[in-house]
Amino acid sequence: MASRAWWVMLALTGPLVGLSFIGAVRSFSEMSGGAGGPAGLSEALTPLDGIFIPTFGAFDLIATFLLPFVAIRAVSGDIQSGAIKILLQQPRVSTRTMVAAKAIVLFVGCLIASLAGALACALWTSYGGATSLPELVNLSLGHALHAALTIAIAVAAAAMTEHPATAAIVALGVTVGTWAYEFISLGRGGWWEALASYMPTAMLRAFEHGLFRVSAVLVVSAITLGGLAIGAIWLRIGVPASRRVVHSVIAGALTAAAAFGGAMIPGDLDVSENRRNSFTEREEAALEAISTPLRINARLAPEDPRRFDLEHGAYAKLRRTMKDVDIVYTSSTATGLFEPQGTGYGEIWYALGEKRVMERSTAEPIIVNTIVELSGAPALADGDEESFSGHPLVAQPVGAASLFYVIWPVASLSAGFFKRKRRPI
Amino acid sequence: MPDTLHVTELTKTYGALHALDAVSLSIRTGEVLGLIGPNGAGKTTLFECLAGVLPADAGSVHAGGAALDAHARADRLAYIPDGIAPWPAQTIRWALDFTIGYFGGRAGQRDAIVRALDLEALLDQPIGTLSKGQRKRTVLAIGLLMPQPVLLADEPFDGLDLRQSREVAAVLRAHAAEGRTLFLSIHQINDAARVCDRFVLIDRGHVTAEGTVDELAALAAARGVTPAGASLEEIFLALT
Repeated sequence: MASRAWWVMLALTGPLVGLSFIGAVRSFSEMSGGAGGPAGLSEALTPLDGIFIPTFGAFDLIATFLLPFVAIRAVSGDIQSGAIKILLQQPRVSTRTMVAAKAIVLFVGCLIASLAGALACALWTSYGGATSLPELVNLSLGHALHAALTIAIAVAAAAMTEHPATAAIVALGVTVGTWAYEFISLGRGGWWEALASYMPTAMLRAFEHGLFRVSAVLVVSAITLGGLAIGAIWLRIGVPASRRVVHSVIAGALTAAAAFGGAMIPGDLDVSENRRNSFTEREEAALEAISTPLRINARLAPEDPRRFDLEHGAYAKLRRTMKDVDIVYTSSTATGLFEPQGTGYGEIWYALGEKRVMERSTAEPIIVNTIVELSGAPALADGDEESFSGHPLVAQPVGAASLFYVIWPVASLSAGFFKRKRRPI
Repeated sequence: MPDTLHVTELTKTYGALHALDAVSLSIRTGEVLGLIGPNGAGKTTLFECLAGVLPADAGSVHAGGAALDAHARADRLAYIPDGIAPWPAQTIRWALDFTIGYFGGRAGQRDAIVRALDLEALLDQPIGTLSKGQRKRTVLAIGLLMPQPVLLADEPFDGLDLRQSREVAAVLRAHAAEGRTLFLSIHQINDAARVCDRFVLIDRGHVTAEGTVDELAALAAARGVTPAGASLEEIFLALT
C-alpha cells in the first residue's frame, strides 16, 4: 500500500485540510461577530455549514485529483512491472481476490488520510465549538462513498488500459464527464435530474447537507462493486479480450440493474441538527396524517428557477414525509418565458381525492397549509416551536497552522522515508 | 522417462501474423528441455500460452491423457518471464518471502538458492535498483522457489556474463537433479548446450525439430544439410 504516491497524498492531505479548516474557523468567527461587527443570522451559524463542509471539502479535492493516481499506481504497477504475470500463476487466488485486496488496502489508506479531518474536528471541539455527531458521521459517510467510487473507477481504468497515463486520462475523463452531465441535466427535469442526483458531486452534496440517502448508498455501492468486478475481469490477461468484453458487458448490465433497483429504495433520513431537509415537526405530523394520495400538477418549465426551488426544497420534503405523492410538471417551453397565453403557466394545482386547489406560492409554509387545508384539517397557525438557534463561536484556529502545515506533512514524509529506509516498500 | 506434458497444435495469431503455428512438443518429467530459436521465433509466445498468461487461439495441453486448461496448468507450470522487474520498490528479501507465502513455495531451499545465485549481499536492495543481471537472478530465484513441478524460464541467461551464465547453468542442473522439470527458452546456443538434455527448435512459429543433440544431428545429417558430428550451432542453423 505505502507507495510513494500514497505517502505524497498523505503528506498533502494535511495542508489541504488545514487550509480549509483555518479559513472556515476564521470566517465562522467573523460571522459570529468576532470582528466586532454584528453577527450573522444565528440559525445560519451551523458548524456543519461553517466548519465541517469546507474542511472536509479538502477530501473531495483529494478524492478527485490525488486518489485516482494512487489507485491506478496500485494496479498498473503490477502490470507494468510484470508482477501480474507471476501473481496470476497462483490458481487459488482469483483476480477478484487480488482486486478486493487492493481496494481494501486503498480504502484503509484513505481512512488513514482522513485522520486529518478527525484532527480538525478535535481542534474545533477544543475551541469550544459545537459538533453534531449524526451530521459528522453522515458527512464522513458521504466522503467515504466518494472515495470508494473513485477507487473502483480508477482500478477498472488501470486494469483495462495498457499504460497508467491512459488510465489516468480515463479516470479523470469519467470525473469530468459526471460534472458535465450534472451541468447539462440542470433544468431538464425527469430522468436527467434523477440520474444527476447520483453523480458523485451531487451525491456528496446531499450528505453534506445532513441527508442520509439510502438510495445513494445502494447505488454507489453497486457501482463500486461493479467497477471492481470489471477491474478483476480485465486483469485476467490469459483470457481472450473478446471474452473479457462480454463479461464486462454482463457485469455492467448487472451493475446497472442493481443501481436502478437501489435507486428505487426509499428511506432518506434527515440527520441535520436544524432539520433543513424536513418540515417542522408540527408540519410533518399534519402531513403524515393525510392518507389520501396527493397529486400535484405544476405548470412550470424545466428551466424555471421556481421548479428547481420546489424540487430541491418543499417537494423533496413532501416526498419524504407523505406516503403517496405524485408530482407532474407541464409546460410548452424549456424556460417558461414564451409560454402561450391562457395556459395558466405558473399555476400549481394540488389535488387530494376529488378536491383541488390552485396555489402559485413556492414558500414552504404556504404549500404545507394549502395541502393541510385541502385535506379538511385546519391550517397550521404560527406556532411557538423552538427555532434552531445556531452555534455561534468566536474562536481563533490556534495550533492549526502548525499542526496541518508543518507537523502533519513532516510526520508523513518522515514516516514514509523511514519506512522505506528500514524495509523499503 | 514418462511424458509430463504433451503440447498439441498450439496456435496463436495476431491478425495475419502466426506467432505460433500448430506447435506440438513433449516435455518429459525431470528433463531440462531447451527451446531454441532466433528472435521473433515465438519462444515467449509459446511460454506465455502454456502458462496461461496469454490466451492461445487453438491447441491443447495434455498430461496423463487428460486435457489441462489454463487453470489446471497453473498447478503444474511455473513461468518466469523475461525482462520483468516485479515489485520494483520492494527488496529481494520481500519478493522471495512473498513468493514462498503466496505460492506455498519451497521455503527450505530459500537460503541455498540465494547463495547459489549470489544474492546474499543484495537481499535488502529494492528490485528496481538492480542491474539487469541482478534482476535476472532475482527472478530466477523466484521461479526456483515456486512449487510447481515444471518451471518455464524465458531467457534465464539473458544479461549474465560468462561466469554468471556458467553458475546459473550449474544451479539449474542441480535444481533439475532434484526432480524438477525445466523448460528453458534460450537464444544463445552455447548456453543451451551447457544445460539442456533435449532441444526444441522453433522458427517463425513452427517447431522445426525436437530431440537430443545426437538426434538433431542425425536428423540434420539425414537431410543432408550438415556433416556428421556437427555442433549444436551448426545443427540449429541447418534446421531453422
